[in-house]
Amino acid sequence: MIKIYRNFTAYFIFVIPALLLYITFYLTPLFNSLHYSVTSWNGINEPVFNGFDNFAKALTDEKFWVAFKNNLYFVAFSVFVQIPLIIVISIMVSSVKRFLGFYKLTVFLPSILSTASVAIIWKFIFAPEAGLLNQLLKGIGLESWTHIWLGDKSVAFLAVLVTNAWQWTGFYIVLVLAGIFAIPKEIMEAGEIDGAVGWRKAWSLTIPLIRPVIGVTLLLSVTGAMKALDTVLIMTKGGPFGSTELMATYMYKQAYSLSDFGYANAISIVITIFTALLSLFLTFFNNKSKEVSY
Amino acid sequence: MKKQALLATVALVALAGCTGKNAESTASSPSNPSSPAVSPKNEAEKVAKAESFTMVLRHINIRETAKPTLKLLEEVVKKTEQDVPGLKFTLDGVEDTVNRNVKLKAEMASGSQPPIFNLFGGADTQNYAKAGRLLALNDIMAEVGIKDSFFDLREFTVDGKIYGLPETGYIEGFFYNKKLFEETGIQVPKTWDDLMTAMEKLRAKGITPLAMGAGAGDAWVANMLVNSMFVALGGPELQDGFAKGTTKWTDPAVVETFKRIDDMKKKKYIDPNVLGLGFAEGQANFYTGKAAMLFDGSWAVNAIVGEKSTVKDSTGFFRFPDTGGKGDGYLNGGWSNGYGFSAALKDNEKKAVKTFIKNFYSLDNQKRTLVETNQIPAMKGVKDVQGANELIKSIGEQQGSAKGAYPAFDALVQPNVKITLETTIQELLGGQIKPEAAAERMQKTQESANAAGK
Repeated sequence: MIKIYRNFTAYFIFVIPALLLYITFYLTPLFNSLHYSVTSWNGINEPVFNGFDNFAKALTDEKFWVAFKNNLYFVAFSVFVQIPLIIVISIMVSSVKRFLGFYKLTVFLPSILSTASVAIIWKFIFAPEAGLLNQLLKGIGLESWTHIWLGDKSVAFLAVLVTNAWQWTGFYIVLVLAGIFAIPKEIMEAGEIDGAVGWRKAWSLTIPLIRPVIGVTLLLSVTGAMKALDTVLIMTKGGPFGSTELMATYMYKQAYSLSDFGYANAISIVITIFTALLSLFLTFFNNKSKEVSY
Repeated sequence: MKKQALLATVALVALAGCTGKNAESTASSPSNPSSPAVSPKNEAEKVAKAESFTMVLRHINIRETAKPTLKLLEEVVKKTEQDVPGLKFTLDGVEDTVNRNVKLKAEMASGSQPPIFNLFGGADTQNYAKAGRLLALNDIMAEVGIKDSFFDLREFTVDGKIYGLPETGYIEGFFYNKKLFEETGIQVPKTWDDLMTAMEKLRAKGITPLAMGAGAGDAWVANMLVNSMFVALGGPELQDGFAKGTTKWTDPAVVETFKRIDDMKKKKYIDPNVLGLGFAEGQANFYTGKAAMLFDGSWAVNAIVGEKSTVKDSTGFFRFPDTGGKGDGYLNGGWSNGYGFSAALKDNEKKAVKTFIKNFYSLDNQKRTLVETNQIPAMKGVKDVQGANELIKSIGEQQGSAKGAYPAFDALVQPNVKITLETTIQELLGGQIKPEAAAERMQKTQESANAAGK
């Protein structure tokens, strides 16, 4: 066996399939995109090289920056609202003694639906007249709180965020729960004997011990927020007045509504770069914080 | 042992290479019949193969309301399959905007478009024709004998060649609920002032005067009305001139249009939920009797006389009322949607296409289109339309009494201008922008689009 480890040909043979897949499905599209990002191309005729025009256009394109800001709001919502909520719910569910499976299943359920169905379900909920939310508000006498949710600039983005959160929270909860259950019982018991109970136990024991899982959750939800597209595309198409536009939906519009595939590719490269930077930053941050060992 | 393993891999790779090559050669040979390398034996094989082949037919008749249209298509498909031995069609139904903006576009880019597909005239046809993806139909039309049968093939003609055939035509105008009009005591409006008075009366009675769903990606719904209004005020030459630079979006007719839209929204003549509804939801508010009027194209008839409709027998249609402007009496209409065919066809497929065209584009089918699917024919000479729906008949009358028709503005301006008008009109409906500022923004976009095109 040891001999094989040192055998270069063997390495080569085993690496090739994976490498081929990687080149075909990751590198080629990326380089294709890079190639088209420096051209002016309507998707059908021959692309024409135009240098960095597309990137320059992105820098001065107000609408792109609105979309960029919205992506940042999306990230902020994930980090400061969604993740704390996920941790709180996870800790609560983890201390449930009976029907644990039931709770796990119910929180996880939305994640198994396709984004398209989730977006359509919530579109119905947010519908102006027949929608569940407005009906409910009217029913409990809060008529003044009703909105044309997806057609009103002040609330449309929030509506989208809630929809997205509803779909993915369960997935992360199951992830965090697994982390909580992986903590050795002795540590928790020792903590309890020392007087750490309830929220104090959660704050000083559970949360520090599941930090690596939280790190992963953070990374996943941030990168998810950067590439979000489907929910918005189905619910609002970036409207009203661009208030829910994200970088990815803006890219989609440039490509498929305006046939400006060169610019769309440039935007996709910008998204890739921003997402890579963010994840690098997060990984760096994660590594900086102390490793947890039991 | 090491050697063996290596040998095995080499053999595997060689084998994979072989099969790959084989697959390629079988795939490419039929599409390249003139290739000199083809031996007589292969030729014989091909004849045998030609006896059974399948062709994809992309259509957009997937909505509930498009069922009669689909039925007609299916019958033509069946007949064509009988006429061409060995032919089997695969019907591929795709939602129209998805087909138009995403699927067909991607296929056209890679040259993998289906042999027969739903095609829009205007910019789409021009782009695809320039890229050499579309089959020129002049010869086939002459052979089948329908060279001069169509009302108008302008939108499908590029440099004298015809690249698509419209299935039906359309006109746009106001549908109105006769019952609600009667109850409110209003007549069919002849002038803009009549229309405004009617809307005021309806609103006072608590009825939504004009149904409209122009939220999310459906701003084009509002733009139909905008388009008809600025042409009524400024004449068809107004929109002809945008891309040429001879007229401007800041011309009084456009500014006045934006003002009137703004005014209608403020007075709640247009459904207050307009930005929260999609096209179909807006339409539904009309055909379930909640709103008194609907500005839409004649394609809406199917929904209005459909199963879910409560206004089946009480809907009328009137042209855009007179405004005192240059475009009075004209209406927005055309023949812009139909079928196109791939330029990359094998001989047997070309034969199938010819037969399909012969079977599909017949006067008999056009008559059925009118009577059964409630749409305006694309071919001349449809007579004796007994059994046609009253509504479609009155649409025909309105069409007949018009001075002329003009195409939708988006066939004349750059895509970016169209998209900008969509977001701008949503902002106008949402009270986010003043009419004058909207006009200025449109003109700016038009100028930069014109500059980029030159």
